Amino acid sequence: MTISLAVPDVLVARAKAGDLEALEALYRAFETPVYNLALRVLRRPEDAEDVLQETFLEVVRSIKQYRGEGHLWGWIRQIAASKALMRIRREQVRQTEELYEESVAGVGGGAGVALGVDLERAFERLSETARAVVWLHDVEGYTHEEIAEQMGKTVSFSKSQLARAHTRLRWMLDEGVAR
Amino acid sequence: MMHCTMEDLLALQGGEASVWAREHVAACATCGAELEALYQRVAQLKALPTRRPGRDRWPAVRDAVLAARRRRRERWGVWSVAAAAAVAALLVFRPFWTTSVDAADLARVKAQSATLEQQLRRYDPDGQVTSGRSAALCAALEDGIAVIDGELAQLDPNQVQARSAELVQLWQQRVDLMQQLVSARVTRAAYVGL
Repeated sequence: MTISLAVPDVLVARAKAGDLEALEALYRAFETPVYNLALRVLRRPEDAEDVLQETFLEVVRSIKQYRGEGHLWGWIRQIAASKALMRIRREQVRQTEELYEESVAGVGGGAGVALGVDLERAFERLSETARAVVWLHDVEGYTHEEIAEQMGKTVSFSKSQLARAHTRLRWMLDEGVAR
Repeated sequence: MMHCTMEDLLALQGGEASVWAREHVAACATCGAELEALYQRVAQLKALPTRRPGRDRWPAVRDAVLAARRRRRERWGVWSVAAAAAVAALLVFRPFWTTSVDAADLARVKAQSATLEQQLRRYDPDGQVTSGRSAALCAALEDGIAVIDGELAQLDPNQVQARSAELVQLWQQRVDLMQQLVSARVTRAAYVGL
């Protein structure tokens, strides 16, 4: 997802001063990209909404530490990714993964379904860690070093997860498993 | 024939591939197609539709922010009351505390002054040989002590308690001058062997 949203400096300054209207304006500006990132990684809308809420609570708490270096979206995205990855580590999410994969597998797309939809379904069937690595690397543009740091893993782990995920995506698309 | 692995293809995509992988993918149609498919997948991932939250979470964020601010104000309120109570206690107990400390200091400097007075009496200036310079120094010191004695005498007895710090300071100055006077006379006496 490409974010070209520019936020006026004066809005950031007001938000830093604790102005609720400015904070809400920031929320409105970034709620969709934050939610989208969290949903792609976590898959469950309620988890993604929770990450959205946690992310903005953190933004409100820490906005004074944002020094204006780099795009504000980059700073907020870092928080959102961190919150999403933290949620992955929680046991309850992992426990429901297998059940969810089975339910997704049962939903058929049928012939003529657009490739994008197939890819979306195939992507959803990856493990949470694999989805996080693929989304952060391929879509959000994170480097393996950044992913490794965020996940508390090695660069090799990130590269290996990405390779395995793409191998699996290719296989699911070739075999029509995602349909 | 060995083909590129997915790691090789991703390295090619990221511009980090080995020379072998770059040369191989240029020559091998299968791996070229795989690389193209990889580019396609990544492009399609980027083009996936943007999902929007079903519920507005801003009210929950706003409520949490307001609740945190309220808690902070209340916490500051408790601290403010505690700080005010501490200041009030200081103001209430300060006179007693200050007076007792000042009284002790006053007694100490008065005792020092009395000791120095006794020392000075042992060296009778009228019975000693003295230089003009020493005599001038001792006279200046005695004048200083006299000035301080005059100030002490002028202090209103009703104000003595309120101005105890000032009283201690005056007595301390008197002691300092007397120490210098003792030193001047003893030095002179030692110098002349008396």
